[in-house]
Amino acid sequence: MSLDFSRRAMLAGGAAALVAGPASARISPASLKPLIGPGYRPVDTDEKGLWQQMERVEEEVAGSNLLIRDPALNRYLQGLIGKVGGPAAKDMRIYLARVPEFNAMMFPTGFTVFFSGLLLRMRDEAQLAGVIAHESSHFLLRHQIRSWRDTKRKSNILTALSMAAGIAGGATGTYTGDLVRLAELGTILTLFRYSRQLEAEADAMGVKLIAEAGYAPLSMSETWDQLITELEWSAKERRKRVDRGYSLFATHPAPRARLDDLRISARELTVAGRSYDRGRERYLQALQPIRQTLFDDQVKLNDPGASQYIVETLAKDGWNGTLLFYRGEVHRLRNGVAYQQAAAQSYAQAVTYPDAPADAWRWHGVMLMKQGRASEGRTALQRYLAMAPNAPDAPFVRQMIQS
Amino acid sequence: MRKAVKLATIGLAAASLSACVQTRQVADLQFTPPQGEYKLLVMRPDVTVGSVKAGGLTEPRADWTEAARANILAALRAQQAGRGGQTLIMNRRDSLPGISADTVAELERLHNAVGSSIALHKFAGAELPTKRGKGLDYTLGEDAVKLGRATGYDYALFLHAEDSFADSGRVAMQVLGIAGCFVGFCAPNIGGGGQSAYASLVDLRTGEVVWFNVLQAGTQVAGIKMGDLRKPEGATQMVDRLLGRMKPGRDVRRAQAAAERAK
Repeated sequence: MSLDFSRRAMLAGGAAALVAGPASARISPASLKPLIGPGYRPVDTDEKGLWQQMERVEEEVAGSNLLIRDPALNRYLQGLIGKVGGPAAKDMRIYLARVPEFNAMMFPTGFTVFFSGLLLRMRDEAQLAGVIAHESSHFLLRHQIRSWRDTKRKSNILTALSMAAGIAGGATGTYTGDLVRLAELGTILTLFRYSRQLEAEADAMGVKLIAEAGYAPLSMSETWDQLITELEWSAKERRKRVDRGYSLFATHPAPRARLDDLRISARELTVAGRSYDRGRERYLQALQPIRQTLFDDQVKLNDPGASQYIVETLAKDGWNGTLLFYRGEVHRLRNGVAYQQAAAQSYAQAVTYPDAPADAWRWHGVMLMKQGRASEGRTALQRYLAMAPNAPDAPFVRQMIQS
Repeated sequence: MRKAVKLATIGLAAASLSACVQTRQVADLQFTPPQGEYKLLVMRPDVTVGSVKAGGLTEPRADWTEAARANILAALRAQQAGRGGQTLIMNRRDSLPGISADTVAELERLHNAVGSSIALHKFAGAELPTKRGKGLDYTLGEDAVKLGRATGYDYALFLHAEDSFADSGRVAMQVLGIAGCFVGFCAPNIGGGGQSAYASLVDLRTGEVVWFNVLQAGTQVAGIKMGDLRKPEGATQMVDRLLGRMKPGRDVRRAQAAAERAK
């Protein structure tokens, strides 16, 4: 959400009452009801205007060359919205963009954009369903128009108060500028607080939606745990503080608090003795055609902390050739003898699995040759050539084998 | 020195209180405005009309936008018919027979990028040293030529227009701001919407952007309208301001002047 305040709106006024109070308590999933039904169309003037603009945005998004257009995968995602989208499930559209980041956004007219990096990080269908349900909840609870109205109302109040304070100050001969600055900050803070409140609502309703669809309610808090830990690993590797981006002004709730709330809500909604679906096999199958691309994109981000965390998180369900290969890639792209050794080890392990990609054999071969184990290295490279005879570097590898 | 400062202050105050309409066009050095039997393709005009709230936020209005779009299209048709050009106005991306919506979308996006670049480097003051004195030296390249070849059109016109109007709350704020002047707190010029538009003419035979015009019609006084796109007259006025007086490029003007003198 962008905030566009004119300097003049920041002029004057003592709106201390608008200053943010303490963070709000957890929102109970049971307290939330969808605000729209199937086939919802806007009736108010402001919402109609918003929808009209968004139709244009959707046209742009739908035609973007960033989209991953694999039909089967898109059908699968659409099917998931159908399961967890509540009463408006049929009205929602999902677009998958090739961006190696954890993010998703819902637009006021009911279309949502998911980043491919999010798909890479999900361990199973239940986790993905959780994120989809969260985004669907933004639509079901009409968050965008409520947020716009909130912004409008507060900026109107601020301007009116600034004006009044200025005039009062002028009439009495006092300077009110400092008060005004305080009011500005107060207004901005309440805007962010409002948006945090909306995020918390979407979390609560999201848990309810996936629980109703038969997915494990705890999967949502797991996703958050993963995201937070990933940020921590990433920051540690880069020797940066992790809390950057979660300052006072962050639009989303403080991550730890959010995680706790989600956990409590999930426990509330979990029915003892009932078996919940995780849908891991279905998920992996749907993701299969693009999974390698997703890994490649992530590794190339040069964020070793995050990449390593992702590989190890996915490996909680068992190591395989692909995961070991990408663990090797993360190590190989770093400086230092220890990392190169770790990479060699990962490749060597990867090729013991039947699903090891051809590239695992190449790097395994290269690493062996570097270690002076030339004949073993040649065998591995021959295996690579057999698996990928048309690889762009095939002539080069043939040369390596001969020399 | 003092006097100069004083004058400048008065000038600034006057400018900030006045309402104004401003256009500025740039053209390719060899540009001659299209005339005779040319074929013009108007790419889906991009129109938004909104309402400025008391706090200064602009809220898009679907009904106003629809009305403005219809008015602008009608005004464009009338104007081009008067010039002898054969005009097709695209309402949707797929309204050009034989050309896919994707092709049109690509060209629109390309023009968006080129147009923003023109706006930045020709109008916003960030002039590029390599393009100084070269008139309008931008092109959409082979994509535009291909479209011209496939459709037989000579020119493509890209048009963007936005308009906004102060709502009663915004007007009230302004009145309050002026009233405040009597007690020593003056905030008369909080602004109240305005019109801005640009048009960009692309020669589909060369792919070059040959002419570009920017229109600003705004007022510092909330509630005063400088032409209203929601009404047919306002749209006609806007189209006329934007496209009515196309100037030829510098070289052409010089040649014309030389010919004038030779007579």
